[in-house]
Amino acid sequence: MSDLQLTVEDLYVRFPTSRGTVEAVNGVTFTLEKGQMLGIVGESGSGKSVTAKTLMNLLPRTAEVDGNITFEGEDVRAVAKERRKHFWGVKMTMVFQDPMTSLNPVKRCGEQITETLRYHLGDTNATAKNKAVDLLEQVGVPEPSKRVDQYPHELSGGLRQRVVIAMALACEPSLLIADEPTTAVDVTVQKRLLDLLDGLRRDRGMSMILITHDLGVARGRCDDVAVMYGGRLVERAPTETLFADSRHPYTEALLRTIPRIDQPIHTRLEPIAGRPPELIDPAEECAFALRCRYAQPDCLEAIPPVGGVKGQHEFACFHPANTARGRQALDANLAAGQTVTGLQIQAAAGMN
Amino acid sequence: MARFIARRVVQLALVLLAVTFVAFSALNFLGDPLVNIVGPLAAIDYCDEVEAGLREDSFTSINNSRGDCEIIGEVKAEFGLDKPLAQRYFTWLGNIITGDFGTSFQTQLPVSEIIAQKLPKSLMLMAMAQIIALAVAIPVGVYSAYRAGRAVDRATSVASFGLLSIPNFALGVIVLQFFTLRNQWLPASFDDTSFFTRVHSLFLPATVLGLGIAATYQRLLRTDLLTTLQEDFVHMARAKGMTDRHIMTRHVLRPSLFSLITVFGVSTGALIGGSLVIEGIFSIPGIGSEIVTAVIRDDFPVVLGSVVVIASGFVVINFFVDLFYTWLDPRVRAS
Repeated sequence: MSDLQLTVEDLYVRFPTSRGTVEAVNGVTFTLEKGQMLGIVGESGSGKSVTAKTLMNLLPRTAEVDGNITFEGEDVRAVAKERRKHFWGVKMTMVFQDPMTSLNPVKRCGEQITETLRYHLGDTNATAKNKAVDLLEQVGVPEPSKRVDQYPHELSGGLRQRVVIAMALACEPSLLIADEPTTAVDVTVQKRLLDLLDGLRRDRGMSMILITHDLGVARGRCDDVAVMYGGRLVERAPTETLFADSRHPYTEALLRTIPRIDQPIHTRLEPIAGRPPELIDPAEECAFALRCRYAQPDCLEAIPPVGGVKGQHEFACFHPANTARGRQALDANLAAGQTVTGLQIQAAAGMN
Repeated sequence: MARFIARRVVQLALVLLAVTFVAFSALNFLGDPLVNIVGPLAAIDYCDEVEAGLREDSFTSINNSRGDCEIIGEVKAEFGLDKPLAQRYFTWLGNIITGDFGTSFQTQLPVSEIIAQKLPKSLMLMAMAQIIALAVAIPVGVYSAYRAGRAVDRATSVASFGLLSIPNFALGVIVLQFFTLRNQWLPASFDDTSFFTRVHSLFLPATVLGLGIAATYQRLLRTDLLTTLQEDFVHMARAKGMTDRHIMTRHVLRPSLFSLITVFGVSTGALIGGSLVIEGIFSIPGIGSEIVTAVIRDDFPVVLGSVVVIASGFVVINFFVDLFYTWLDPRVRAS
């Protein structure tokens, strides 16, 4: 087992609002090894972006954070004052979802890359500019020496995201957090950008957290995938295990929403019934229970703790899918035609 | 860029043409210029009837043998009032372009001389007021947006609402009372001796004017900054580890200046005409008080001349504001 680079333990993030406290992240625990690529998958509001922003120290001042985050042996939440200046942006950086808005429209692309180099590494204007051209070349921007003097609106979405990636990589970080880096670009560009990120990561021995709502994006690139739901980490496993042998009913439901090439065409994709959970003062129950085909009375009595094999395949469910206990629960619900929460269910084609 | 400027210059010329025409015709419709030169309306009506052959010109002046109507006719010819309005407008426009603004009915002085004497004082007051307003509003606006919702921000909100709700004559009188009458720290009236005395004596009125404007600027800038602070590129800059100071001044300020400079253009334009109240309180012989006197006395050439100068100033300032937009945001250049 290689060295741990990042450890997140019992992370809680809350936002006090006038309607109550939003419990955005609830006791998330995970680790990341050096050079590893971790996918964090979940729907909007599942807490994946808030987790990333917590790591990057980007939360608004109103946020209440609790828990331990250790990065390369250092407590991220208590970085010494003189080290803070060159911590984020140097060791750990982040790429955001929308390349259309994550570049400053009134600054030249080059300037946006060189400002980090000049500030963090103390490079001169000329050195920084040369490095910027090199970086743009590395991320596959054609005519890089021309691009540095262009404004973001003169570039296409795909090129802009490459500029953003170049910006993030400028100071050679050891961890890159990519928050839905390809959601805002079209599908053909998506694949190329993901391949680029993956390649850069391998070349530089960099670790990466890839945040996405699309399990398909995580597959084939991430070493491990963590699934988040309602501010909790509900399942984490090596990617292939997760796809082949998922335990949490939410993961299973998510997998059924992806079209698969080995299924006959026109196979109906199954939407997940119901709505995402309420994050303001949630009840002491499994957040997925209301939408879950496996739901049993005990799911409404307590929040399932994270179980399974630590470091291998972890999941938080009382009646995990693909286990005897889960099958029993599902069969009982199917026989009744509904679950304990009143969700109408019937046997679906193509599921076991 | 050259095309952009060329287009704006043409627009500028058209606007000026329209403004001067409206001002010229309005003054001609609202009162007969002849009345202001020769006196009461009855004599003119009477002479119109004489001219139309409806009655004999039976009046002669006491001192000479010429009839009143003869004199009125001469005046009409002298001032070109016998010509149609459009013709008179273009004659007047031609004169203006060559720098001839006509002669004041009241003082018989050339209008250009009056304007040359009064306008610089108002312009200086305006420039000082704007410099003070920007110097106060930009740092305060940036800081209050940076610390939005905290004590300093709340205090500046209260202060700027206070400044916005005090009319400047009230503030002017209070300030005058305190700084010049009670304490004699600053001169009470305009001193034209040298550049230094001008700046010195205009400092107080410019501050009174400037603080009122600064309050508006601060509110606008703060709101725009808060909007910009929500942008992804600000999060990106934070993620790059840039300092708050760098982010506020290098990333956020520039895209947030649009409302501020728009209002800057408008208020500069408005102040070219002088601030009547402040000029009055601080005894500054500027263009503002001159216009009011001219309007009351129906001194057409002075009113028209001032309108032309002020309107031109307004349009030119806003032309520069438009140019400034393109500097602020390269995307404006493209569209």
